[in-house]
Amino acid sequence: MNKKFKCLIVFIAILSTHIITAQNIVRYDLTVTDTIVNYSGKEKRAIAVNGLIPMPTLTFTEGDIAEIVVHNKLKESTSLHWHGLYLPNKEDGVPYLTQMPIEPNETFTYRFPIIQNGTHWYHSHSGLQEQIGMYGSLILLKKKDDPTFRKGIDDLPEAPIILSEWTDIKPENVHRMLHNANDWSAIKKGTVQSYSEAIKAGHFKTKLGNEWKRMLAMDVSDVYYDKFLINGENESKLSQFKAGEKVRLRISNGGASSYFWLNYAGGKMTVVANDGNDVEPVEVDRLIIGVSETYDVVVTIPNENTAYEFLATPEDRTKSASIYLGNGIIQLKSRMPKLKYFEGMKMMNDMMNMDGSMDDMGMDMSLQKMDMNTVMYPEISGHPDMKMDKRQMDEKMDHSKHSTNTDQDLVTLNYGMLKAPFPTTLPKDAPVRELRFELTGNMNRYVWSMDNKVLSESDKILIKKGENVRITLYNGSMMRHPMHLHGHDFRVLNGQGENAPLKNVLDIMPMETDTIEFLANVEGDWFFHCHILYHMMAGMNRVFSYENQAPNPYLPDKKWAYKKLQAESNKLHFMAENDFATNGNDGMLMLQNTRWSFGTEWRLGYHDEHGYEAETHIGRYLGKNQWLMPFVGFDWRYRKQNGEVEKNLFGQTNTKDQRAVLSLGAEYTLPLLVKLQGEIFNDGNVRFQLMREDIPISPRIRWAFMVNTDKEYMTGLKYIVTRNMGISTHYDSDMGFGFGTTISY
Amino acid sequence: MKSIKIISLVLMALSISASFAQVKNQKSENVKILGNCSMCKSTIEKAGSIDNESSVNWDKDSKVATLTYDSVKTSKEDILKRIALVGYDNESFLAPEDTYLNLPSCCQYDRAVEVSANMDKPKSDMAFMDHSAHANKIIEVQGANPLSGVYDNYFAVKDALVKTDGVLASTKAKMLLNAVNEVKMDQLSMDVHMVWMKVLKNIKEDAAKIADTKVIGQQRSHFHSLSKNIYEIMKVSKQESTIYYQFCPMANNGMGANWLSKEETIKNPYYGSQMMGCGKIVETLEE
Repeated sequence: MNKKFKCLIVFIAILSTHIITAQNIVRYDLTVTDTIVNYSGKEKRAIAVNGLIPMPTLTFTEGDIAEIVVHNKLKESTSLHWHGLYLPNKEDGVPYLTQMPIEPNETFTYRFPIIQNGTHWYHSHSGLQEQIGMYGSLILLKKKDDPTFRKGIDDLPEAPIILSEWTDIKPENVHRMLHNANDWSAIKKGTVQSYSEAIKAGHFKTKLGNEWKRMLAMDVSDVYYDKFLINGENESKLSQFKAGEKVRLRISNGGASSYFWLNYAGGKMTVVANDGNDVEPVEVDRLIIGVSETYDVVVTIPNENTAYEFLATPEDRTKSASIYLGNGIIQLKSRMPKLKYFEGMKMMNDMMNMDGSMDDMGMDMSLQKMDMNTVMYPEISGHPDMKMDKRQMDEKMDHSKHSTNTDQDLVTLNYGMLKAPFPTTLPKDAPVRELRFELTGNMNRYVWSMDNKVLSESDKILIKKGENVRITLYNGSMMRHPMHLHGHDFRVLNGQGENAPLKNVLDIMPMETDTIEFLANVEGDWFFHCHILYHMMAGMNRVFSYENQAPNPYLPDKKWAYKKLQAESNKLHFMAENDFATNGNDGMLMLQNTRWSFGTEWRLGYHDEHGYEAETHIGRYLGKNQWLMPFVGFDWRYRKQNGEVEKNLFGQTNTKDQRAVLSLGAEYTLPLLVKLQGEIFNDGNVRFQLMREDIPISPRIRWAFMVNTDKEYMTGLKYIVTRNMGISTHYDSDMGFGFGTTISY
Repeated sequence: MKSIKIISLVLMALSISASFAQVKNQKSENVKILGNCSMCKSTIEKAGSIDNESSVNWDKDSKVATLTYDSVKTSKEDILKRIALVGYDNESFLAPEDTYLNLPSCCQYDRAVEVSANMDKPKSDMAFMDHSAHANKIIEVQGANPLSGVYDNYFAVKDALVKTDGVLASTKAKMLLNAVNEVKMDQLSMDVHMVWMKVLKNIKEDAAKIADTKVIGQQRSHFHSLSKNIYEIMKVSKQESTIYYQFCPMANNGMGANWLSKEETIKNPYYGSQMMGCGKIVETLEE
């Protein structure tokens, strides 16, 4: 007994000396499992790590060696990416780019030295797993004797804060619905911006102008979320902080597609770091944190017996999440008022050219300095319902001293205000590599790309070790994009000269041009992509690849792997719809990816006089806006008409009795989003057709019409009841009047 | 006649059952909510009540509210939070500062804790320091530049237009006119004097026109040419701080218009809050 005990002591002694002498190895074991969660009142599948959502906070100190052992207990493969970290390429955690996916029941060890400090986070880089739980804080502390240690900041009490969102709809389905321009999200958010709403708001002309320029309803985000979360909860409390104390919040945005506004009920916030890099402290009233960005913010707890609300509001302002700092009665922060969508639409109309490109009117926008969305912010541009009263009041009395609801002196953080505390210049004698990307995309088909090419259409971009890579980005699309570079921090050239801030995510708003630069100093294949998960999965990615790099032991066949990576963000999306009506069945089936479309439409009557008809088209979308789609088709129909012959507008004759023809044609989207289809059939017949199926009359009512040169026409109304079901009525020149139920997937 | 009776009976029965269709899993609690008058009462009750979920009845004399709610669907905390968010402090939540200040004056009850006083302390200290530094600076410069009165009042006119405040703009334009008349031309250097003589008449005209009206649209159209002339003179004379010459391409019916500002941040005097951030800096006039 005694002997054993002694042995143990000796053993422990050996162990501890080992830790002291060698570099400190910090090990975490992470077990990934399926789990069931209930955020909204419904039980849904999610993924937990060590039973937790978010994943556990990992803490290291600069100089440690991180050893993270991942046990995959899922039925699918997984991976973990260390967002914002400098590390060897093979530890970066991008399946098919830096390693093979971690397969079910496999264990994989990530091992790398920690050579930086700051607030970072980690997440799955496999499919859409990040949306359903695989995100967590990753805190790298400074060593106590670090020369950059800032008294009054680095020694404050602190808390990790990770923001995220939850949807009850499976993320794969969310992604599919986005590609199919399904507007269920807009209905749930109340942002359909239909004609009836436009008329009510006095914006009929705005809406018409918007559709004339072929734009869908404008929104600042695409997905409807059931709940927004801070550290995995909608409301929570950190009661350990005392009155008078300053607190450092290490905030990461782990949301899959939501930007968050950050507001604090206890006064101003001081921003002290961004993307894990220190910045000169700057005091603000509020800031917006882009998807996957991190900010370190110092706040004060002003009074005793009070907890102060730290409020995170998604950019679309549909809901919010709160965490209360301190102990006692809760001091709330006022909610951000709803966006004025029609004002935004009006602005977009002014900025949009007829050809779908955008015109900044010579304003040279950059670095979030001019947020065109402010026209939609009631807190800055006034409340819509207040306007009338205010105008009347203005006439009656001096208004200058009156408290209004607008606050034009709010200080909102922008990139121009970020300044590194030390020079960040790159080596002067290194060769400079200049690159330029235009961010492109179109909302209608949810295609997001760079220079109008998705990843599956582009090769790796070769760079050399030792080069200074300077990238100019112009956002020519209508959404903002948080562009993230793996493995490197870049300087954002923001007018701070030598002290340009270091970042690894750059939020770039529509029409902005920004320049970033970095020293290519770690070889490998590094992902550069939009961090909105659904944009990344739509192909808005590139790979920077170092020339003559050493092979990656985890990925022997890189060529094959790159093909797999490319295929992941250009998958086919399935869509189907059928109207079970009293006069027949009307439906369609479609399979589409970035460029190709395979579709079949049918009209099936209940008896021979009404006939049966199917049209199949295989087409390819052309151009940035994808307004043009040439196709080849096959039409088949049967209708009992007793030999009656039909004449089209061009005098060509046509029996509908039995017909099977091949066709060559094209579809073009006209202003007002009307689709013009022209087709020539192998029997010499020609047909032109005008059609639109989704004119938003009211939030839930859609009007459809079709007319063609075969003298066929159709008009109908649909009321959307649920995501997959609608009630419809229509009149068809072949089949007459009918009503029924539309089922769609 | 008979059928009407039946209908009315049915209606009565319906309305009775409606009034009896009360909140399920009912729970009742009394809580104190601060407030003053019957206007407060309706705001508090409206914010707290949701059909088939919760109802609130607040007594303005005792300041006590009876909360009746479905304990499965909601909680006391949820209801009190909604009430605080429309401006009323209670046992669990304090209303946001700006929401409280925006209550009608009859509703601004006495708050138990002076939220703002304590919160602003560190801030006001700083503001005080800033202010004193600022004041000194102005006094110094006043001796140096005979045109500073003109500039200061020009900026005041601009700020009024940014706020879309026609009355204030008119007052400030009057002061600008006075300042223009009081400029000691003998103190101007030769080159400045030359430009001053060139723009003087136009500046006076525009200032007078802005002063004469309270219609913001007219003021803004004169402000366009006023800014151009002030820019001419500012370019050759000395300023006490860096001045930014800014441009909004949408103003002046799409022809674009300029203005001068002491701040880098764009605050558009041609649109005010309608398009506060529209514009860019076209030239920076150094000190």
